[in-house]
Amino acid sequence: MKVGLEIHQQLAPRKLHCRCPVELTETVQGTVERRLRVASGEEMGIDPAAEFQAARESVYRYEWGPSNCLVDLDEEPPTELDPDALDVALTMALLLHARPVDEIEVMRKIVVDGSNTSGFQRTSLIAVGGYVEVEGRRIALQSICLEEDAARKVAETEGIVTYRLDRLGVPLIEISTQPEMESGEEARRVAEEIGALLRATERVRRGIGTIREDLNVSIEGGCRVEIKGAQELRLLPEYVEREAARQKMLLAVRESLRGRGATAPRGPPADLTDTLQGVATGPIGQALRRHGQVLGLRLPGYAGLLRSLPGTTERLGRELADQARACGLNGLLHSDELPNPEIGEDRLRPLREQLGVGGADAFVLVAGTDRRLLLRALEAVARRATAALEGVPGETRDPLPDGRSRYSRPIPGRFRMYPETDIPPIRIDPGRLERLRSTLPERPADRRARLTRQYGLPAEIAGQLVVSGQAGLLETLVAQGRSAALVARFLTQDLPAATAAGDAAFDLSAERMDELLRACEAGEFAKEGLPKILAALKAQGASPDVRQAIAEAGFTGLSMEELSRLAEALVDRNADLVRQRGAGAFSPLMGDLMREVRGRRDGREIAEALRKALRDRAPGAPTP
Amino acid sequence: MGTDPSPDPWEVARRWPVEQRVEIQSPDGSVWTGRVMPLHHLTGDRVLLLKLDSGYNVGLRIDPGTRFRLLPAEPRDERTGEPVARGPTPPPSGPAVALLTTGGTIASRVDYATGGVRPVRTAAEIMAFYPKLEQDGPVRIVPVVDRLSENITPDDWVRIAHEVVRAFGDGARGVVVAHGTDTLGYTAAALGFLLVDLPGPVVLVGAQRSPDRPSSDGPENLAAAVSVARRAPLGEVVVLMHADLSAHRFALHRGTRVRKMHSTRRDAFQSRNLPPLGYWTEGTLDLSGPVRPPRPGPPRVDGTLDAGAGGLLWFYPGLSAERAAAACAGLRGVIFAGTGLGHVAEIHLPWIRTAIAQGVVVGMTTQCLEGRVDPYVYATGRDLVGAGVLFLEDLLPETAYVKLLWALGQSRDPDEVRRLLATDRCGDLDGRRRPEGAR
Repeated sequence: MKVGLEIHQQLAPRKLHCRCPVELTETVQGTVERRLRVASGEEMGIDPAAEFQAARESVYRYEWGPSNCLVDLDEEPPTELDPDALDVALTMALLLHARPVDEIEVMRKIVVDGSNTSGFQRTSLIAVGGYVEVEGRRIALQSICLEEDAARKVAETEGIVTYRLDRLGVPLIEISTQPEMESGEEARRVAEEIGALLRATERVRRGIGTIREDLNVSIEGGCRVEIKGAQELRLLPEYVEREAARQKMLLAVRESLRGRGATAPRGPPADLTDTLQGVATGPIGQALRRHGQVLGLRLPGYAGLLRSLPGTTERLGRELADQARACGLNGLLHSDELPNPEIGEDRLRPLREQLGVGGADAFVLVAGTDRRLLLRALEAVARRATAALEGVPGETRDPLPDGRSRYSRPIPGRFRMYPETDIPPIRIDPGRLERLRSTLPERPADRRARLTRQYGLPAEIAGQLVVSGQAGLLETLVAQGRSAALVARFLTQDLPAATAAGDAAFDLSAERMDELLRACEAGEFAKEGLPKILAALKAQGASPDVRQAIAEAGFTGLSMEELSRLAEALVDRNADLVRQRGAGAFSPLMGDLMREVRGRRDGREIAEALRKALRDRAPGAPTP
Repeated sequence: MGTDPSPDPWEVARRWPVEQRVEIQSPDGSVWTGRVMPLHHLTGDRVLLLKLDSGYNVGLRIDPGTRFRLLPAEPRDERTGEPVARGPTPPPSGPAVALLTTGGTIASRVDYATGGVRPVRTAAEIMAFYPKLEQDGPVRIVPVVDRLSENITPDDWVRIAHEVVRAFGDGARGVVVAHGTDTLGYTAAALGFLLVDLPGPVVLVGAQRSPDRPSSDGPENLAAAVSVARRAPLGEVVVLMHADLSAHRFALHRGTRVRKMHSTRRDAFQSRNLPPLGYWTEGTLDLSGPVRPPRPGPPRVDGTLDAGAGGLLWFYPGLSAERAAAACAGLRGVIFAGTGLGHVAEIHLPWIRTAIAQGVVVGMTTQCLEGRVDPYVYATGRDLVGAGVLFLEDLLPETAYVKLLWALGQSRDPDEVRRLLATDRCGDLDGRRRPEGAR
């Protein structure tokens, strides 16, 4: 098995070819509607990906808002590459031992799905070659590019695709490896290492969707398949292993088909609408109720090969259904799933007769109200079934949240690229590279070691801080006088827990963190109180106030004197217990006192206050 | 690696033909394979442009010590070729629309081999480029001049006017003039003054986004212009462009009332002091403005322009009388773009009086672009009108300049020139400023 990776990481703080902010927003201030035509009289019919897109002639509706300017709307020429983004890309090139080009030429890559208002994506090759080292193995890199992120699709209805433009133009650094990894786990580790390097530059965007991985997977005898846009690192091994299993299944199916002398499906689909009248439930019943039609296609020699083969959950039937889905149907029904409650044995016989299906043959059924759509879907299914005779077709797939992937479109042909004539070439002068080389960020491994050494942090915590990109924040806060142990606990435990709880985003500035931790160190509340205060801060929404949150969480400050008074009052209230149990009264009383003042003072101080109260109020009793 | 033929490899590399496939080894050991691209005029010193196999262009410095090897050409990618020839389609029938081209980039093809963009100019190329142009009837393409619009001259306006008349004479139902947008407004005004008795619309059209991108507004503007030229019951010169940033509504502006108001937006063209004459929306024509209906014809070019005899002068604080007078030396007429209601600093009064006494026609318009001039509100205006300055209502400064050239071409008598300038000719002066504004 060979696996390659492409990592796309969004950069901050502004867009690549204009001066807009990179924030995503729910605010829509206006819309425009456009059509795109394939550029300049070029015939796109031969490029399978473009043909696939062109098959649906769409109107594109673009929503614009506070993160947009006329450049995003394709109403103004772009500005030069953002110099800060270019510095990050060059820094990555140096960190990854790649060779920067001497002069950058910004290119236009034709994209006709509407996700770019211009009809192309601006992309620049920054460096080639280089490698990343993971656990002693060097994985060679292909290229480092800087490109614009695309608009995000927010709706798709009959003939109108709606995109929001906030994400359009956000700088993306694209790092591509050679297909040299041998397992999904290795791909994950490489992605993690490159991700940590990216975050070490401290110029990357954070949060969901800001880093995306494309995987390409091929097994011996299989074909290169691209899984595009995975967002969860932990699922990468799953995607790879599942894809390998799928390709293995396809190869096994091919062998069976060849052994049986199966042939490509031929002939027009059969209209089974009358034969199936009376089916009341399921997708077929639903279509018939709406006066729709049912069409069927015979697959000669495919019987039994559409369902899962022994030892795998992958199956050809799903591949065929994906094709129907890509054409806009909800799916299809195939003979390996029949009989079922809707179509019993009694209905199968006339069906098989009408389709001319023999014992070794399979068939598929599609149902719906748009006959043209059904015919197009069956055409796609026939093509896919034919491809099964050859083995694994090259294709692009969408990753699903459960670790599976689904057919999305054919592999694009070689990209149509031509120069962005609105932007002059950019010379990389040696002085710039020198400056970047002298200020390279610390490599993750070095930083882990130094954090451990310098701040006495456990290696695991140091590693977590480096991978998550928060090491810089830790050092900033420590430089302001906060305790390293407290900051580390806060960044690796309290903050992630608070961020994960609920759906709302939670972003606390370094200044507020400092204010919060300073209050904790001053004894206004104990570190156990942090989760409660963070919850209060999060509930405040935008521009939260730390003092207010501390008050809302009930930590209005508890002086040692107050604590002592509370402890003494508790001992007095429980005089009998103290008399009876002596030192044994400490444990139950400590429980009561903790309930009363948890988080407002440190646990040790509470225990000390209780011991002192026991000594003072019951002098005869031995204290623990 | 192969040969090391020269002490300075750059001297060899710079002479390689475009498309030559090469393998280059830089002194640092990196190896690059690709095709040579034409040098960009902004490319740095000793930098070779290479198209890598991935499709990216990169610039490589060819320093001493660079080694290289020439490679045989690869079979060209089929998809980068010329437009596919269409099978014979039946010639469309019905009345024709004439499409006059004046240069600029009505259409450009991207050459993926060189990465360059080259304009499409011949009739056959334009038809291949816009296959749907003739879907409602025949379109006859007439190349007139071939210039970027900043290089178009008043003499070109006259040529275009004569070609419009010829096109109607050849049976065109309407005429489309494709034109660069920078000076499209001037040409529209000139045609408005030159052409009389038009039996159908003359529609000027352009593109704000270059046609080398899938999102260009050119194809839609052109298709709309052809449809309007074919169908609209109009006997005047109009400009048709996007009405807003979306691609389905197009505004029709009177040629003497329109101005390019934005350097880049698709809806850059806006009417001033008169609402648009109408809109073309998804195949529907809505003519709600004060349109001029078709005339029985035949159309003709009425007079000519005296291009060298008129000028346009923008007043600004600090403009000295000497400089202004020098700029107007030798002219028979000058249009001022004055401030506000039509003012210039009082230091200019002496030379203006002298010039007018010598027979120079001096007209006044406003830099505000919106609204009319008025000499009677302030003393300066009264002094100017007393000196003989002609206040030109709400004519745009550019339109007034074009009208001046036309009037100077009609007569050498200053009084007659003044009379022509102040008289409505083609809906350029209708005396009303509407509360709803123009846009």
